[in-house]
Amino acid sequence: MRWPSLNRTKPEAPGVHAEPFWSFRPQSDREAGDAVVSNFMLHWFPAKISKASMAWNYSFWLGTISGALFFLTILSGLPLLFLYVPSVERAYQSVKDIEYVITFGSWIRAVHRISAHLMVIVVSLHLVRVFLTGAYKNGIGRGQQREVNWLIGVVMFLVTLFLSFTGYLLPWDQLAFWAVTVGTNIASSIPAVGPAVRELMIGGRNIDQATLIRFYVLHVVFLPGLLGVLFAYHMWRVRKDGGLARADAESALETPQATKPVKSKTYTLLGVARGTAPTVTARSIEAQGATVNAVPDLVRRAAIATLGTIAVVSIMSVFIASPLEEPANALITPNPAKAPWYFLWLQEIVTDTTIRIGSFTLNGAFIGGVILPGILVGVLMFWPWLDKSSHLAAGAWMPRERRTQNITFLVIILFVLALTFVGMALRGPYWNFYWPWEAWPAIPGRI
Amino acid sequence: MEQRTSSPYPRIDRLVMAIVGVVLVLGTVLFMWSDRAHDWRYYQMEFRQMVAGQFGEDKAAILPSGVQQIWVAELSRADRCVTCHQAVSYPGFESAEQPYRTHPKLPLQQHPVEDYGCTSCHGGQGWAIDTAAAHGEVAHWEEPLLSRSLGESYTLAGNKNALMQMNCNTCHRYDRQTPGATAINLAKSLVNEKGCRACHVINGFGGTIGPDLTDVGEKPPEQYEFGRLSGQRTAFAWHVAHFKDPRALSEGTVMPNFNFSTEQAQSLAMLMLSWRRADVPARYVSGTPRVDPRSAEELAAEAALKTGPGGWFVQTGCFVCHSISALGVKSPAQIGPDLSNAVEDVQSRFGVTIDAFLANPTGTMSVVLSRQIILTPEQKQEAVAKLREAFAEYQRQRAAPATGK
Repeated sequence: MRWPSLNRTKPEAPGVHAEPFWSFRPQSDREAGDAVVSNFMLHWFPAKISKASMAWNYSFWLGTISGALFFLTILSGLPLLFLYVPSVERAYQSVKDIEYVITFGSWIRAVHRISAHLMVIVVSLHLVRVFLTGAYKNGIGRGQQREVNWLIGVVMFLVTLFLSFTGYLLPWDQLAFWAVTVGTNIASSIPAVGPAVRELMIGGRNIDQATLIRFYVLHVVFLPGLLGVLFAYHMWRVRKDGGLARADAESALETPQATKPVKSKTYTLLGVARGTAPTVTARSIEAQGATVNAVPDLVRRAAIATLGTIAVVSIMSVFIASPLEEPANALITPNPAKAPWYFLWLQEIVTDTTIRIGSFTLNGAFIGGVILPGILVGVLMFWPWLDKSSHLAAGAWMPRERRTQNITFLVIILFVLALTFVGMALRGPYWNFYWPWEAWPAIPGRI
Repeated sequence: MEQRTSSPYPRIDRLVMAIVGVVLVLGTVLFMWSDRAHDWRYYQMEFRQMVAGQFGEDKAAILPSGVQQIWVAELSRADRCVTCHQAVSYPGFESAEQPYRTHPKLPLQQHPVEDYGCTSCHGGQGWAIDTAAAHGEVAHWEEPLLSRSLGESYTLAGNKNALMQMNCNTCHRYDRQTPGATAINLAKSLVNEKGCRACHVINGFGGTIGPDLTDVGEKPPEQYEFGRLSGQRTAFAWHVAHFKDPRALSEGTVMPNFNFSTEQAQSLAMLMLSWRRADVPARYVSGTPRVDPRSAEELAAEAALKTGPGGWFVQTGCFVCHSISALGVKSPAQIGPDLSNAVEDVQSRFGVTIDAFLANPTGTMSVVLSRQIILTPEQKQEAVAKLREAFAEYQRQRAAPATGK
C-alpha cells in the first residue's frame, strides 16, 4: 500500500520508497545512511547478513530469545516494584496480595518467574550452542576477539544465575528461606573465609531483614544494571567480531573455480592485481546471493523470536501458577530443603561427596559446592585460550577437529543434568533416595 | 544506490510472523479472561438477585461490588471473606445457604467484625478470594476453615462446629470457663480434675516430668512421631489418639491412661492445639487488666474526695483541671485556677459575675462547658451555689489564722 505524498518538495532518493507512515523521508543516500546510524535498531544490526547466519538450525536464535526473556523479566518486574514491600513483616503479605487481588497480579508474577526460569535454561543452551559450534573462536577477520566475548558471556551466565537466586528469597516463604539457607551454607564451607563470605552475603549470622534488603537491592538494581551493561558490550562485540562465527566459516570455505586462462607472461604480483594472472574466485561474504538485507529480513526474524517468546511465556503464565508456601520460619525446616533447581546438581554432589566413616564426617560442601564448580567455571571461562583447534573449526556444528572436546563437554553437561534430575525428582524427605514410582511419606498437617 | 538483494525469507517468515501475532492476541485474551474468571463475581450477582427479590431493586443497587475486605490493622488481617459472604451483616438471610447466610447476631455483638475480622475466629486464608484457597483447603496453608465439614471429617462427638472454639481460646486462654465454648470448657475442667499440672507446666507452673504444655499448639506437625498412628496424619488426630491411649502412640511414656471418652479426648486435643503463642494485642486477651493498679491508700483518698465536702466538684469533673483547696479537693492536673475564690476571681478576670460567666462562658471554659461538661441551667445554679459555699469556706479559712493570732 503506497499513497502518493502530496507535499514533496525534493525528489526522493532512488530506491527509497515512500511509505505512508514514515515520518522521515531521506532525500539522499547520505541522509538514508545517517538515519541508519542514528537509529538504535538499525545501528545494532549490520546492513547485510549472511544467509548462513540466518539459519534457524545454526543458532536456534537462543541469544535473541535470552535477550527477549531478559526484556520480559524487566518489563514484568516494573509493576512488581510498585507492589512488593521488601520487609520481613510485609513481604509475604504483599506477594499474597499480588497473587490474589492485584489486577493481573498473579499473571505478572508468573511471567516474571517463568521468564526468569526460562532465561536460566535458554542462556545455558546458548552457552552450550556456542561451545559446540566453537563460536568463541576467531575466524579470518582482523581484530576479532571472540574469546573475550565468550568470557563476557560466561560472566553473564553467572549473573543470570545470581539474579534468579536473589529473586528466590524475595517472597519470604519457606521455599525461599530454605533454598537460600542451603545456598548460602554451601558458601560457608570455604576454608578459613567461608563464614565471613556467608556473613557478607546475608548481612549477619541469620537470614533476616538484612539479607532480604541485600538480596532485594542486588536483584532490582545492581545485577540487572550489570547484566544490561554486559549485554550491550556482548552485542557490540558480536558486531565488532563480524557477526556470528558461522559467517566466517562460510567465507572460509572457498570453492575454487577455474577461471579462463588469460594471456600473460607475467606471473608477478602486478599481474594478479591487473587480473592478467590465473586467479580463483571465492564465494565470499561479499558475493551477491550469499547475503540478505538486515532490514527487513533480520528485523523480522528478531521480531518473530522476541514476540514468539513473549507469546509462549504469556500463555504459560496463565496455566502455571507460581508457588507460595507458608511464611518463612527459621524454626521449621521443610523436609526436604532443596536449593533452587539450577543449583541442585551441586547440592547432590555435596551429598555424594560427604563421607561418613563411623562418627567421622567429611563434609562434601567444600568439594562439591566450591572446588568442583570453581574448577568447572574457571576452565569454561578460559577454554578459548586452551582450545588449539584451527580457525576452520569455528562456526560449525560438531567439527571433526573439535570432536574430543565437544564430547567431553557433552558428557559433563549430561552428568550435570542427571544430577539435577536426581536432586529434583528422586530426593525426598531427609534427602533419601526415592524412585519415581515410590511414594514419599505424606507431609502431616496441623488439623 | 544499491538495490535490494533477492531474499528467500519473506514468503515463510511473514506467515510465521502472522501466526505469532495471532498467538499473541490469543494469549492476551486468555490472561485477561483468566484474571476476570473468579467465582466471587457469580456469588455477588446471585446475592444481588436475592436482595432484589426480597427487598427490592433499589436495595440491590447499593450493594458493594468488587473485592471487599475487612482490614484489622491491629491483628494485621485483611479478610476478603465478605467478597463472597456478602450477607454476613445483612439481616434477613438467616436461613439461606452459604455463602449467602446472615451471621448469627450474638457473637458479633461481643466481637465486632471491624475489630476481629473473620479468620481470627473461623480460620482460613483471609487474603484469598477463591473458595478452596480462602477455606485453606490448599497446600501450604496450615490454618484451614474450622468448619462443620472439617468437624465431621474427624467425627467429632457432640457439636460438629466445636473446632472453632480452638480459636476462641487464643484470647480466652486465661478464662476458667468461656460462655459458649463447651468443648474447651470441658477440657479445662478436665485439666483441673485430673491434675495435669502434677507432671506438666501450664502457663508457668506445674511439674516437670512431662513436657511444658504452655505453647504446645505451636509444635510443628513435622515434629510429631506419626509412626504408630493410623488414619489422618495431623497434629489434632495425634493428640486425640494420644489422649485415648498414651502408650500406644509414644512408647515408654509414663503418662497414665485416663480412659477418656471420645468427646473428652477430642476436647482436650482442641485445648492442646489452642495453646499457642498468641500474636494478639493485650486488649484482645480476656482477663488482662486494663487499668493501672492502685494502692489501697490511693483508692481510699479517691473515695474520700468523692464523698467529702467538695464531692460535687469531683463527681461533675471540675477537679480534673481545678483544685478547690478550701474544700480539700486537689486536682491531679491543676491546669486551671483554684476555684476556692472563683466568686471574686471571675469578677476580676472577666469583669462579670460568676452567674453571668457560667451562663455565657468565654475562652477555654466555653469549649469545656460546650463539649466535655455539659450542664443544665439547674446544674449551673447548683454550681454557683457550690462555688459560693466554697468561697464562704475560703473566707472563713483566711480569717481564722488572723483571729487565731
